[in-house]
Amino acid sequence: MNRNHYNFDLNGLLKKVFFVDLIQGLFITFHYTFSKTITMKYPDEETWIPYKRFRGLHTLNKNKEGKELCVGCELCQKSCPTQCITVVPMQDTTGKGIADRVAYRWEINLLRCMFCGLCEDACPTEALKLGREYELAGTSMQRHLLTKEELLAPQAVPAEFEGGVIVKARLGTDETGIKVVPDMSVQKRWW
Amino acid sequence: MEDVMSIASNSGDDIITKEVTLNMGPQHPSTHGVMHLILRMQGEKIVKAEPDIGYLHRGMEKIAENLLYSQFVPYTDRLDYLSSMTNNLSYVMAVEKLIGLEIPERAKYIRVIVSELSRISSHLLAVGAWGLDLGAVTLVLYAFREREMILDLFEMLCGARLTYNYMKIGGMRGDLPPGFKEKCRDFIQIFPKRVDEYEQLLTGNRIWLQRNKGVGVISAEDAVDLGLTGPSLRGSGVKWDIRKDTPYLVYDRFDFKVPAGGNGDCFDRYMVRIEEMRQANKIIAQALEQIPDGPVNADAPEFVSPPRKDITTNMEVLIHHFKLISHGFKAPKGEVYSSIEAPKGELGFYIVSDGSEMPFRVKIRAPSFVNLQSVDPMSRGAYFADVVAVISSLDPVFGEVDK
Ligand code: SF4
Ligand code: SF4
Repeated sequence: MNRNHYNFDLNGLLKKVFFVDLIQGLFITFHYTFSKTITMKYPDEETWIPYKRFRGLHTLNKNKEGKELCVGCELCQKSCPTQCITVVPMQDTTGKGIADRVAYRWEINLLRCMFCGLCEDACPTEALKLGREYELAGTSMQRHLLTKEELLAPQAVPAEFEGGVIVKARLGTDETGIKVVPDMSVQKRWW
Repeated sequence: MEDVMSIASNSGDDIITKEVTLNMGPQHPSTHGVMHLILRMQGEKIVKAEPDIGYLHRGMEKIAENLLYSQFVPYTDRLDYLSSMTNNLSYVMAVEKLIGLEIPERAKYIRVIVSELSRISSHLLAVGAWGLDLGAVTLVLYAFREREMILDLFEMLCGARLTYNYMKIGGMRGDLPPGFKEKCRDFIQIFPKRVDEYEQLLTGNRIWLQRNKGVGVISAEDAVDLGLTGPSLRGSGVKWDIRKDTPYLVYDRFDFKVPAGGNGDCFDRYMVRIEEMRQANKIIAQALEQIPDGPVNADAPEFVSPPRKDITTNMEVLIHHFKLISHGFKAPKGEVYSSIEAPKGELGFYIVSDGSEMPFRVKIRAPSFVNLQSVDPMSRGAYFADVVAVISSLDPVFGEVDK
């Protein structure tokens, strides 16, 4: 090992004596002191709206007439590698679905889900989509077992919105816990 | 006891103290995840460094035997979770080889682009964390900024930032979204300047040089004998890169160099990674230039689900889609091995098929697992602090080591 062995080289020696190597590095750090910041003030003032394809919390969708798209075909349950979806179909003639078969129970165990998106690829009617909700931490296990009713609720971010922006947000609390409420009117990109 | 004597006398140290066994990790901040090293030490010098692995074992290979071929793709994300794309790629390429499926040109180009982006992001983290371990905290902040850009691109592409699951057997889960190419071009414009900055921060820095030069030396022969691959092998001067030597996808159409070091020390491995990032950047630029239009999924109904617009309009196609999702496809009997150049080295999948819808056996040749065995020869006789540099220079990821 020759880690303390330096060949004689005047230029190199002068650079060493005057700490040129360290000053060069410090120059970069110094330069960044005056550049634009790229971090965001999450969650107090800003939050991130993910891109359109984001794979977050599952959503069950309705068509334009407000009918449930899910026909209870159980294909999502079949395709899931971790078996976290339970679908129980039923006959329904009230017309709340697009066909006379709807899901009687549609449950997901988020504790097992790995957000791989295979269920979304499998769904033949595009009823099931992975949405943009990503703040999924909770204090009880029960909170992670979601049913059809919860997943049918409209999303905070409209599906057509392109996403990939930082928006203004407010941190609020309600009975379900802490919530970050985005305000879509003020948007910015970070690079 | 013999090696203790020789190390002590080599260093001109006549006092032989009692040998101490030190457990480094599995919660040590500088051991990259759940690494556990059992160090036998003579004073400050290492007599033997023994990695103790298995803390993150999830039985990946066994899981694969109980899933359809297509269902195992998301699990491969969890191998080397810092570059999931290359894991996906290696697995789907092995399955495609098994069933003899050729994918469209455009899909090949997309696969190249994403795996090179993955390589950059993985090396950024490797170099950044290395700086962090040796006390150069500034670098990791800058490296993470660029990594964040890549993760941003990936989020746009496939909807996830860490576990991408973007590739599927026979193609991709989706085409490039609108605006991706432009954003990617912006990135490859910015990136070389940022690499220069990292170099300005570290490459000439006397502290960095002293901590890395001449530390963890491994000769080319030893590196080959130990089965090292990736930057750790090329640092010793062996120019072995699967992208160059047995080109897969469309790597033979790009002009890029394979950097190699000369001394096989930590500093060489650092320089190889820095240069590889520049080369990866060049490959992405060329791929974006050459990428053709066309479909991204193979037209092979027996293995690949039909396009979505056909599913919603054609009954026969819909029935076929149901069949394919719920029962998968039967792969021919036989066995294949297919490997790629992942950021950390050769990542290979060996699949044995018994002719059913699930693999009979999957063996994963994980680069970090093989590279990790060189911790001992590299750090023998060195100081304790050098072990940290050695580990960082090997860049092990424990999802892959423990599988
Ligand atoms: S995202 Fe994956 S793991 Fe989660 S429910 Fe869908 S298929 Fe199952
Ligand atoms: S969500 Fe889709 S795949 Fe799942 S049961 Fe409903 S229609 Fe079928």
